[in-house]
This record gives sequence, C-alpha cells and structure tokens, in this order.
Amino acid sequence: MSMSTTPSAAEAELAVQAKQAVARSQGYWAGVWKRLRRDPLTIACAAVLLVMFLAIVLAPLIAPHDPYQGSMIRRLRAIGTTNYPLGTDELGRDMLTRLLYGGRLSWFMGITPVLLAFVIGTFLGVLAGFAGGKVNMAIMRTTDIFYAFPSVLLAVAISGALGAGIVNAILALTLVFIPPIIRVAESVTTGVRNLDFVDAARASGASAFTIVRVHVLGNVLGPIFVYATSLISVCMILASGLSFLGLGTKPPEPEWGLMLNTLRTAIYVQPWVAVLPGACIFVTSICFNLLSDGLRQAMDVKG
Amino acid sequence: MLFYLIRRIIYAIPIALAVGFVCFMLVQIAPGDPINAIVPADAPGDVVEQVRRDYGLDKPLPVQFGIWLSKVVQGDLGRSLATGRSVWSDLSGAIQNTLMLAVAASLIGFTLGCVLGGLAGTFRGSFIDRAAVSVAVAGVSVPHYWLGMVLVVIFSVQLNWLPAMGAGPGGSGDWAWDWEHVKHLVLPAVTLAVIPMGIVTRTVRGIIAEIMNQEFVTALRGKGLTRGGIFLHVVKNAAPNALAVMGLQLGYLMGGSILVETVFSWPGTGLLLNNAIFQRDLPVLQGTILVLAMFFVALNLAVDLVQTALDPRIKRA
Amino acid sequence: MRLRRFLMTACLAALPLVAAAPAAQAQGTIRIGMTAADIPLTNGQPDQGFEGNRFTGIPLFDSLTMWDLSSADRPSTVIPGLATEWRVDPNDRTRWIFTLRRGVRFHDGSEFNADAVVWNVRKVLDREAPHFDPRQVGVTATRMPTLRRAEKIDDYTVALITSEPDSLLPINLTNLFMASPAQWDRHRAASPNAEAAWGAFAREPSGTGPFRVTRFVPRERLEMARFDGYWGEKARAERIVLLPIPEANARTAALLSNQVDWIEAPSPDAMPQLRQRGMVITSNAQPHVWPWQPCFVGDSPLRDVRVRRALNLAIDREAMRTLLGGMMAIPVGTVPRGHPWFGNPSFNIRTDKAEARRLLAEAGYGPNRPLTLRVQISASGSGQMQPLSMNEFLQQDLKEVGVNVEFDVIEWNALFTNWRNGCQHASARGAHATNVSFAAMDPFFAMVRFWDSKMAPPVSNNWGHFNDPRFDAMIAEARNAFEPAERDAALARLHAAGVDEALFIWIAHDVAPRAMSPRIRGYVQPQSWFVDLRLPYIQ
Repeated sequence: MSMSTTPSAAEAELAVQAKQAVARSQGYWAGVWKRLRRDPLTIACAAVLLVMFLAIVLAPLIAPHDPYQGSMIRRLRAIGTTNYPLGTDELGRDMLTRLLYGGRLSWFMGITPVLLAFVIGTFLGVLAGFAGGKVNMAIMRTTDIFYAFPSVLLAVAISGALGAGIVNAILALTLVFIPPIIRVAESVTTGVRNLDFVDAARASGASAFTIVRVHVLGNVLGPIFVYATSLISVCMILASGLSFLGLGTKPPEPEWGLMLNTLRTAIYVQPWVAVLPGACIFVTSICFNLLSDGLRQAMDVKG
Repeated sequence: MLFYLIRRIIYAIPIALAVGFVCFMLVQIAPGDPINAIVPADAPGDVVEQVRRDYGLDKPLPVQFGIWLSKVVQGDLGRSLATGRSVWSDLSGAIQNTLMLAVAASLIGFTLGCVLGGLAGTFRGSFIDRAAVSVAVAGVSVPHYWLGMVLVVIFSVQLNWLPAMGAGPGGSGDWAWDWEHVKHLVLPAVTLAVIPMGIVTRTVRGIIAEIMNQEFVTALRGKGLTRGGIFLHVVKNAAPNALAVMGLQLGYLMGGSILVETVFSWPGTGLLLNNAIFQRDLPVLQGTILVLAMFFVALNLAVDLVQTALDPRIKRA
Repeated sequence: MRLRRFLMTACLAALPLVAAAPAAQAQGTIRIGMTAADIPLTNGQPDQGFEGNRFTGIPLFDSLTMWDLSSADRPSTVIPGLATEWRVDPNDRTRWIFTLRRGVRFHDGSEFNADAVVWNVRKVLDREAPHFDPRQVGVTATRMPTLRRAEKIDDYTVALITSEPDSLLPINLTNLFMASPAQWDRHRAASPNAEAAWGAFAREPSGTGPFRVTRFVPRERLEMARFDGYWGEKARAERIVLLPIPEANARTAALLSNQVDWIEAPSPDAMPQLRQRGMVITSNAQPHVWPWQPCFVGDSPLRDVRVRRALNLAIDREAMRTLLGGMMAIPVGTVPRGHPWFGNPSFNIRTDKAEARRLLAEAGYGPNRPLTLRVQISASGSGQMQPLSMNEFLQQDLKEVGVNVEFDVIEWNALFTNWRNGCQHASARGAHATNVSFAAMDPFFAMVRFWDSKMAPPVSNNWGHFNDPRFDAMIAEARNAFEPAERDAALARLHAAGVDEALFIWIAHDVAPRAMSPRIRGYVQPQSWFVDLRLPYIQ
C-alpha cells in the first residue's frame, strides 16, 4: 500500500516496467523522467506527500503527546499554545498528535480502496480487453450497471445499507472505483492487443499467459497506474465524507473526516483549530491530484 | 442515425433493470432480517407476519424481486418506517429541491468553468493558464462539506449576509424566484459548484487547446479571420463535448449533494438520504437511491442523444 | 394633516401602554429549531421521543392528565387536563373512574366527551376497532403497560380498566393524547383504508390543544396558530413554526442569522458566541438520566456491587460539566436530592478515586488484573446529549483508576432497539453496560421498568436482567399504594435501595439547554422535558 504512494517508489515501479516493455524504447522512460524533473510543481507535491507520509508513519516516534489522552482543563486551546503547537481538540487532546495519527487512517482509507480496485479492476479489465467476445461483453456490461450510479451515491448507498464501520466503508469505496479502472484497463488493453508486436509474439508461438504478462501488462500498467493515482484524491474526500456522515471510522480513533465532524461545533470557539482536519484533507488531496496530473503529462508524449 | 437512437434507448432498458436489482439488493445486504427494514421494530407480531406475507418475504429471492419490481413500476416505493408516509410523497418534493440546487450549482460551475477553461486554453502556458488550473485543481480537491461550514461561518454568522440553512422563509413549499428565496440557494449552490467548476475548467481547457492546434484553426488564421471569428468556430466545435460533461456533472451533483444538503439543511434527496441512514429507514434509502440512479441513467441517455444530434461527426457503431 | 399628526402622537403615546398590556394581547410568530430530523408525527401519538410530545403532542392535543409546566422552581407534577378528577374504584382496584371536563371542543368543532376517550383508547389497544392503528401502538402501549380498555359510564364519565392494580396509571395517561374521532371519520370517508385515513389525519390533525395546525410541509416545517376556542388559558403567541434542524451547527447558525427565534440544544461550544450576540440561554434541571446501565448476568464484572460502586465513585462529574459548558446537572441517583422519591440511601454518589481504587482492589482488580469493560454506545440520539465526547471523557477518567473501557458504537435506533433485547442477546455483542438515556418523570420509566424482574427483555427495559425479589416486592407495594403520600414513600424506599445497590452508573442529568432571541418574552422553563408553548410570545 505504502509503496505506491511515494513518488520515488512509483518511479521505480515505472522503471521496472520499462525494462519489461518491448514496444517502448528505453528512451521513452528516460524522457518521462526528464520531463518530470523539469516540472517543479509535481516534484514539490511529491515532496509534500513524502514528508506527510513519513510523518504519519513515524507518528508514534514524533508525536508529542498521547492521541487518546486529553484533559478538560485544556480543551480547545488556540493554535500556538505552548506544548500544543496546533492547539487542542474538544477533549483537550493535542491536535498535532491527533492529526498525525489521524493521517494514518485517512491515508489508509484513501489508498486501500484504490489499491484493491486497481488490482481487481486491472485483472478484470485486462481479461475483458484481451479475451474479447463474450467475456468482454459480460464484464463490460456489468461495469455499465455500476456506472449508472453517481460515485458518491453508490458509496453512501452501500455503506448506508451495510452500516457504519471502516471495513464497510472500504468495501463500498472499492466497489465504487472498480468500474472506472476496468474501463481504462479494458480500453488500454484493447489498444495494445491490436499492436503489431503482440501479433508477432502470437505468431512466434508464445502462450497467452506470456503475452499478457510480458507484452500487455508491461504496457498497460503504467497508464492504469497513473489513472489510479488520480482516484486517490477522490477516494480520500469520499472516505472522509463517509466518516463525516458517521458511516466511516468510529471514535476514539482519530481520522480527519471524523475529527472534522466532532470539531464542527467548535467552529465558533476555535475556528482555526476546527478547520485543521479539513485543511489536511485539502492539502493531501490537492497534492495527489497535481502529482497525478504531472505523471500523466510526463508519460503522455502528446502532452 | 435513427437506428442508433433506437438502439441506444433499448440498450438503456436492461441497465435500468439491473440498477433496480442493485437497489433491491441494498435491503438484502443490510444486516438483519429484511422484515425489520419494512416494519417498525416495535410493531406487534401478527402485523409483522402479515407484512411478511404481503411483501412475499417468505418466497425465494427472484420472486421477491419480481413483486418488488411490479410495485415500483406502479409507483409504489413502499412506506417510510419512521413516518409511515409513502416514500414517494416525501421523495417527489425532495427531488425538485435537489434538482433546483443541482441545476443552480451546474450553471455556476459551468459558467465559471467555461470562463476559466477558455482563458486557460487560449493562453496556454501563461500566468493566466496556471492560475486558472490552480483554481480548478483546488475545486476538485476541496472537501466541499468543509467549505460549506466555512462559508456559513463567514457569510451567515459573521457577516449576516446570507441565510445558513433551509430553502426559503416558508420552506420549499412556497418557493418563488425572488431574492428572499434565492438567497437561501446561494451558499449551498456555490459550495456544490466547486467540483463541476474544477472539472469543466480542465475539460474546456483541454478541448480549446486541442482545437486551437488543429489545422482548420491555423487555416482560418491563415485566411485572415479575426480573433472573434476564430473564437466562434472554436466554440461551435467545443460545445458538444462541453455539454456532455455538463450533463454528466448535473447527474453527479444530483447524487452527490448529500453532504452539502446535510450541512445546509437543504430539504432535498441528500438530506432525506442522510436521515434515512441515520434512522435506518431502509425503504426511504432504497427508494431515494433507485430514483436518483434512474435519473442518472436517463440523463446519460439524454446526453448521449443530444451529443450525437449536435455533432454528426461522432459516428457510433 | 393636523388630524394625522394627532393620530400619530396618540399612537406613539399608546405604544408603551400596548407593551405593558396583558400578555394575552401579545402577538407574533415564534420559529423554533428542533433537534429532530423530521416533524414528529401529528396523528396524536408523536414519535421522536419526548421532543415529539413537547412539540406535536402537548400543543396540539390534550390528555386526561397533564403536566404542570407553569413553574421553573418546583418539580413538575401531574394536574387535571381533559379529566377534572379521578379515583380508583374502591371495590375493584383495577378500575379507575375519570370525570371529564365539560364544554371542550376539538379544533374541528366537534365535542370532546366519553365516546372520544373510549375511541382514543381503542385506537391503540383494540385490534378489532376500525380505526386501530398499529403504528401508534409502539409509542403508546409501552408507556401505559397496564391499561387494557375504556368503558363509557355517561357522557362525561369513563372507566379505565388495568390488568393489575396500578397506582401509576394517572401519570402514564399524560402520554395518551385525545385525537378527534369526527375529524378521523371525515378523513376515513375520503380514504381507501384506515391506514390512509390516519395519514390524512396526520396532515390535517384535530385535537383540543391550545394550537391548531395550519400548514404542514413534511420534513420541513409545521405551522400552527393559536386556537381561540381553547378551554383553558389561551396561548399568547399567535403562531408557532417548527423547523427540524438536526445538525447542531445549522441550528446555531439559523438562530444567529435570525432564521429562527429559538433553538433546542445548542452545542456547548456555541454558547459563548450565542451569549455574545445577545441570545438568552435557558436551562433547568430535568428528570433525565444519562447512565451506563449494567449487565447483571453472565461474566459481567458489573455483577459485583463493589465494582458498580467503584465506577460511580471514579467519575469526575465536575470535569464533565466543564466539557459540556456547564450544561449538565450532577446526579446523586435517578432523581435529585429533595425529590419526594429520593429517600435515604446510605451510599453517597460522589467523586472519590481513592475509595474507587480500594473497592476495585477489594473486588480483585488491580494493576496485575486490570478491569476491562465493554460498553455499547451511540454517536447521537434524542436525549443522548454529546454521547461521543462524554463517553470518550469517561474512558479517560476511568483509565486513572485502572479501568479499561472499550466502546461498541452503534446507531442510536439500534442501541434503542437492543435495549429491549437484553445484555445476553447477540445484539449486545458481549457489552457489560449500555448507554441509553431516559426520562425519569414517571416512576414506571424511572425505576420500575429497570428493576422489576418481570420487566426483563423482551417485555421492557430491564436490559441487565436484574432480578432481586426484594425489589419486586417494593415495586408491588408502590403499585398498590393509591394514596399519593403512601405511594411516594414506597417509591422513595425503592429508589434508596437502587442507589445503595448502585444499579446504574449515574453519570449526568441533562438540563435541556435552549437558546432564544431576546425578543421572546414570557418563557418559563419548567423542571420537565416539556414546555408550555402557551406562555412565550414575541415582542
């Protein structure tokens, strides 16, 4: 899970694929890297996300306080209070600590569904694209059904029916993101399948499995991956929205959407403290969006 | 062409049926006996058994789906557990309110998006482009329920310019298009508009940039056409795709207004849905989702048809 | 010209007179933001808990007996309503005779009489009645569990028959609201079935209350106007508008932006801002308990009275009051000290962490064998106050005496339903305590349903399966005490015994905070869940 979120790892993954890819030359990936390096905004976003990721992973080491232990005497302190640089929440718990720990669940709930959907959707999409015919028909028509629901509605419907909880929320969000990934995977695979080199491989007697593994996956994973990174931001907002509605995380677990919910009433007392979790979601989401944009631009030669 | 239209409409029917099935299954996947989703928890035992027979809950699942479907087709979405009112009676009013909110948000988002996207696409790579793109990315990245809370504190509580909640001084029942009422719409519509604004900006920017690079524009330039003339051509060519995006956004907003409606107590489908979830009022949950999804299916179809009509170049098998 | 100036002067001169005139002449519309997500049912038996009774019960309908809501200083007591007097039949103690008020008319003009009472009892208790409404049974029958039927004696006298002698019936009857049979018949004639007729009745209800419904927009607003034909003291406000605003911030914002004049339950953190903007915050003790209700069977550590006492002693209720911005009262039992039912318990509920540790150690818990409790709670709900913050606070507080608390957070409706299932049912998921707050103005609600072994699930709310013959005997004694003083003494013995056994972990009493515009005058907040909406008016 964590691997795909750090930009350096993402690039490493792309590099690995590049070696496997036959159709595209080494020069293509060098070009991608070169273009990425010249894009300061994307690099900056990657850096922000990397720092954030390290901070939430290392939360137990760097957080100044216990995320669950508060005190009524020091509730809702302002930003900049001694010992509590980002103030305290409605139960007197350190905001900085809660935000660091909260990021873990928020990132987890933002990335897990996309990752699961990436694995399942890519499998089904590549299957549909490569097999064609009836298999394609069956998979793609089922996908169409889920396309008939606006994503927020589908997520709310499923977790509303299943009841509150992290597992249900992740399940609902995964279901929301599988169909779009299938569509992308299918269209990319169909495109690759008709390329000359696949025909050549087939003619040379390579098994279907080998063709998929070497030629198809090598060429389609990149675009699908880039598409999936653009979903992380949507997923994070949706997940926090579910928590905000009371359908996601349960207290006392810190999670940004839920923190926003419980701090809502404090907006009259400590507006700046109350908007912090929202700001965290906002910054993370913006960075994932820009990173995904940058990757797409760098990989799409047409620009 | 006509053949395509008919085909497209016929194709929507199985989709609609399947959507119905997914909605039907919502109650089935809910934990507990589905009967508890239909009768209140404190109903007497014989009433429960009567309802179980009436709804055919003692029959196999496909039969149950058939019974449910025939009721839905006749416009019977069941009764709310919480109020005993028919789901449709509450839903019909809520849909109008949500439609009003979604249309208002789409118009705001679309207008702003076209302006920003048009500017960005025309002056690609300039400072204007970067600013417009930043606004667009911010729009799609902001948790809009949070934005709504912040706007309420600024514009309702601190400045006292705009109302914080509700759909007009007399509720949505006596809505009128005067400022007294419209001012209730401003904050929720603006909050809801940030996402389509962002998406439309990016789309329009892309479309414009692509068209500007195309040969015919270069040719037109070569012919010595004025900026305005070129602009008209570009708009004509960009319109079908932009309209398609706009139509889909309207659908997304209809289904996605739950958080905004909750923050602003806007009496639409989102608030209805939120209350239904909160009270575990599954008939209302199911009915609302079914109607919204059907609306979305119909909208998708309409967008497709309009797009085809507007742009004969789009050829479909 | 001169005449006009004269008239204007006269009017201006009259202004202070008008303001000082009797309040009956005061007018205006009061707009109230409720916490409910929907307008409570208007068919006569409101849902949405007591907020429903408060806003669509008492103002629109009357009951045979009513609560005295006129004073802020003394506990609210039962007074005559549509019945002027009542007594139990000396020969048959399961038969109550109620004398009805004469000259009372429903909003539709029809007359209130013994037939109307019988009709209203049958609507929830007689399955054979054409107007029987299963939807109203749940909220009604559980609140008067011994009532069986009604008999007309003459036009203004009815007999109410109970299943066993029950001195508590007159108190329970505050929950049976009298709807107009004539209005229902009219709706029935235009509806395909009885269910639809009740639906139509709910849209155009008719009762005998001081307000009548003038406009009903489902889920959005209910408008009611003063009923000028009311039998008692008439309302001062001309109109009242009810708006469901479940979200606390939206309520606060609505009051601050002058969209409503009065909000229920403002969030504690909004209060400084509300005060600063000139709003009036009102509160008063309320017969309400926010407890942890223990499980007394199975492997529950709360079977041990020492543990229950220790938990009662370990909670720093003062700190919790800080959390709630002062908006709670500190409990010393189910009813406050000085209440006729308080009695003389020997166990003094207070904060004493040292004693709590000692009791826990005596019960065998300590650093080497920490006590772990599982509590089922909700994230929101009517009367639940601020359940998440309060429970998280308790979790921290009990940690200090070495008690680990784990929460099972479930929906409010589910928690409420599980309350009837008991702690051994699968729905409890092994919880050792549940956190359902309750109303305590009625002895049945306050004590009987929790401590009577006959009230174990699925009958009523003895969630923890408490079973002690001593308590059963005390309850029977109270039910059979038909003299009010004798009954109160029996209830006081029952309450004292309950406190000594620490049958609850008493944590807070709600004080029903409300915030209202300074333009509202005449408002009285009684020591009750209810409010007399006849009193306030807008200036």
